[in-house]
Amino acid sequence: MPGKWDWLMESLKDKGLRTKYSLIFKFIGKKISGADDITKCALCPNMCRHACPVSIVDGKETTSPAGKARIALFINKKVIDLNLDNIYPLYMCLSCDACTQWCPFEFSVADLIRPLKEEAVKKGLIPNEIRDVFDKLESSGNIYGRRIKEPSENKRGNVLFLRGCEIIENFPELADKSIALLKKLGYEPFTLENEKCCGMPAYNLGNIDLFKKLAKENAKIINSLNVSLVITSCPSCAYAYRVLYKKFGINLKPKVLHITEALRENLKEKLVAHESLEVTYHDPCKLAISLNEPDLLRSILEKIEGVSVKAPRRHGKNTFCCGYGGSAISRLNPKLANEIAKERISELKEEANVIITACPTCKKALSKVNSDITVLDIIEFLNQFI
Amino acid sequence: MRKKSPENVDDAITEISAIIGEDKVSVKEVDLVSYSHDYWLITLHWLLKGEVPALPNAVVWPETSDDVRKVIKVCYEHKVPLYPYGGGSGVLGGTIPESGGIVIDLKRMRRLQIDEENLILEAETGVNGYYLENYLNKKGYTMGHIPQSLYPSTLGGWIGTKATGQFSTKYSGIEDMILGLEVVIPPSTLLQFKPFPRSATGPDLKKIFIGSEGTLGIITKAWLKIWPYPEKRVLLSYVSDTLEDALDSVKRILWRGARPAVVRIYDIIETKRHFYTIDEAYGKIVTVIIIEGDSDIVNVEQRIVESEFKGKKLGEGPVEHWLQTRFIVKEASEFAPLGVVFDTIEVAVDWTNSMELYNRVVRAMNSVKGTLFTSAHASHFYPQGVCFYFTFAGVPPRGKTAYEYYKEVWDSAMKATIESKGTISHHHGIGRHRALWLKEELGDAFKLLEAIKQVLDEKDIMNPNNMGL
Repeated sequence: MPGKWDWLMESLKDKGLRTKYSLIFKFIGKKISGADDITKCALCPNMCRHACPVSIVDGKETTSPAGKARIALFINKKVIDLNLDNIYPLYMCLSCDACTQWCPFEFSVADLIRPLKEEAVKKGLIPNEIRDVFDKLESSGNIYGRRIKEPSENKRGNVLFLRGCEIIENFPELADKSIALLKKLGYEPFTLENEKCCGMPAYNLGNIDLFKKLAKENAKIINSLNVSLVITSCPSCAYAYRVLYKKFGINLKPKVLHITEALRENLKEKLVAHESLEVTYHDPCKLAISLNEPDLLRSILEKIEGVSVKAPRRHGKNTFCCGYGGSAISRLNPKLANEIAKERISELKEEANVIITACPTCKKALSKVNSDITVLDIIEFLNQFI
Repeated sequence: MRKKSPENVDDAITEISAIIGEDKVSVKEVDLVSYSHDYWLITLHWLLKGEVPALPNAVVWPETSDDVRKVIKVCYEHKVPLYPYGGGSGVLGGTIPESGGIVIDLKRMRRLQIDEENLILEAETGVNGYYLENYLNKKGYTMGHIPQSLYPSTLGGWIGTKATGQFSTKYSGIEDMILGLEVVIPPSTLLQFKPFPRSATGPDLKKIFIGSEGTLGIITKAWLKIWPYPEKRVLLSYVSDTLEDALDSVKRILWRGARPAVVRIYDIIETKRHFYTIDEAYGKIVTVIIIEGDSDIVNVEQRIVESEFKGKKLGEGPVEHWLQTRFIVKEASEFAPLGVVFDTIEVAVDWTNSMELYNRVVRAMNSVKGTLFTSAHASHFYPQGVCFYFTFAGVPPRGKTAYEYYKEVWDSAMKATIESKGTISHHHGIGRHRALWLKEELGDAFKLLEAIKQVLDEKDIMNPNNMGL
C-alpha cells in the first residue's frame, strides 16, 4: 500500500534538488514538527468556532478560539504588548475544551493560552476581579473567602466527600443530600471541617504557583486521612484531584471519583418514579469532556423507570458550557456568562421543564437566568427515588 | 501596521457609541488587530511575519437591524467606510478594512424561527452555519447548505459571497435557497424583499445583493427554503480509468434527472492523496457519491447512478472516509510556517470545455516556477457543466516574495480559465484578490455593476474597493 505522502513525493520528484524542499521532506518524514501549536491554531479559520459557547454568544473574532491564538501570536511576536487590555480576551475562555473535540490537532485553546496568562500573572498584569480570587484563595483557601463548617455527625467514615466551594457557599443542602445518598449506596462518607478549594480556579486563571500550593496542602491533608476513596460533588474538583495533581507530580493516594461515577459503580437498586416525568439534562463540560464521561449523566437518568429522558441538541462531548466554567468570565464579564447560560437554557427548555445536571456550578448558572424551569443536581433528583 | 484614518472617523465612532451603546463598539487595539484580516491565504504568510493587512478604526457589534441602520446612517453622514464581517473565513480578502473606517460584525444577530407549515426558516444573518444546520436537524429539517466553512462561517457570509455547499448538486447554491431578504442600504433604508414561493413582480431585486460582498448594503435577515431531514442516504463510490470517463458518467446521470446530493471526482494526484489506502485506485480516478432524501426517490436515483457510471464500484468506504475528513482544514497551519504557499482556486465551465479547462489550468499553474504540485477535484455538478476545485502548493523561487509567486500562479490560472471559456469563480467570490479578473469576465456588464453601486452607495462607504468597486 502506498504511504500517506507518496503523492507529494511523486509530485516533487521532477522538481529538482530535494534539498530545495528539505523542510517539506523533513516535515513529512516527521523529522520536524512544523510550527508551534499557537501558530498552528492561529492559522486555522476557526474550525471549532461553532462549538465554542463564548464565540457563539459573544460573536467577536477577538474572543473566538483561533482569535485568542492570534492574539497570543501577536503578543509573542510583539505586534501588540502584553498588557491588561490585550490579555483580557484570553480570559474569555470557559476552559470547557469544546474546541478540542473538533480540532484536527486536538488542541485545547485553554491550554494553548495558559502560558501567556501565567506570564501576565507573574508580571502582575491581573484584572482586579481575578486578583480578588487569588487573594481569597491565599487567605482562606476558598474562592468566596470564607468557610462553612459541616454538620458534626459527619466527622468520620470510610469515604471522604469533598463538597467543593460552590456547595459550601451556595448549596449546603446539596451536601446533606449527597451524604444521605452516599450512605444509601453503602458508603460511610465524611467531610472536612476546613475543606480547601481544589485549586482549579487558580489553574484556570494562570496562577500556577497558587494552584500548586493548594494542591500540595490538599494532598497532605487527604493523604493523612487513610481513606481509599474520595468522592466529589463537582466534576472540576474531580478533574483537578485526579488528573491535574498527577500532571504536576502531586500524588493523591485515594482513588477519586465524581459522585456520578460512584453512582454508576454502586447504584444497584431499581428506581421508580411514581408519576411519569419528562426531563432533559445538561452535561457538565468537565464531566463529559475532561473526565471523558459523555454518557454517564444520561445513563443514570435512564435507570429510573417512569422518567422519560429527552436529549438536548448539544450533549455528551458536544455539550455547551453553562457560561460559568473556567473561573474567569462570570467574574470579568457576568453579562456574557449569563447570556451563555440563557442560550443553554433556551435550548434545554425546548426538551422539558425539568433540567438535571451534575455540577453545582452549572446548577447555579442555569438557575440564575431563569425562574420558570426547575434545575436540579442529579443528587437532589435521585434522592426522590431512593 | 497599516492604518488609514478617514476624516471624521472619530466623530462617527463617538456618535455610534452614543446611539447604539458603548458596549457594542470597540476601539481597542486588540479588537482592531483581530479584524485586520479574513482567511485570504497569502495574508497568513504576512501574519507569520507579524504583519497585518490593514487596521480598522473601530469595530461594532450590532444586535438588531435597527442597530445596523443607525450605524450605516452615521457612516453615511460622515463618509466613513464600513466593512461587513461574518465568520472571517473568506479566502479572497473581502473584509479587509483597507481604507480604514469601521468593521461591522453581525455575529450577535443570530435569531432563528422555523415556519414548519411552509418549510421556511427566518434567520438573522450573523448566525453561525453549523449552528443553523444543527438547529434544523434537531427539529427534523435540513437546509442542505454544507460548505467546508460550515463551522466558522455565517449565513450572511454565505449570501454575501454567493456560496455553495458540498451537497449542492441536490440542494443548489445559496442563491436558490433564498425566498426573501432584509437589507439595509445607505443612507439608512431598511429594504424588505418578502418571502414568496415565486413572484413575477419585475426583476428580482434581492438578487442584486446576493454575491455583492458588502459593497451595496448589509444583509440582516433572510427567509430560506428548508427540507425534511433525509429519510435515507446511500453512499456509492467508483474508480475510473480517466477523468473524462467519470465526468461523462455524471453528466449522463444528471441528464436522466437524478440529483445526487454529493458528487466529487478526484484527479490522479488527489486520488493518491486522499485514497492512498485503496490499492486499486492508486493512479486512477475516484468518484464519491451521496444520494439522499425520500427513500423511494433515493432508490430510483441509485438505480440511475449504478446503471450510468462507467467504473468499478468501490463501496461505501471512500465516501465514509470523505465524510469523516471533509472538515479537516490544516494545510495552512502545517505548511505556511514551512514557507509553502498553499491555496485553492474554484472555477466552473460547461461540459464541452471541461477537460480543456482542467488541462490548461493545471499546465498553467505548474508552469509557474516554484510550483510543487497542482491538483483538482470536480466538486459541484449541473446538467450543463461542472466546478473544478484546484489546489496548488509552491515555494517562492529565489528573488520572489511569497505574494509575487502567489499572484503569478493566480494570474496564470485565471487567464487559462477565461481562455477555456470558464468562469473565474464558482463559489468563493471575488474579494479584493480577484477584482481585476472580474472586470475582464464581466466586460461591459462591470459598468452596470459600477452604476448600481453608485446609485445604492453614492458616497462609496460600503466595503470600498472590494470586488474592484
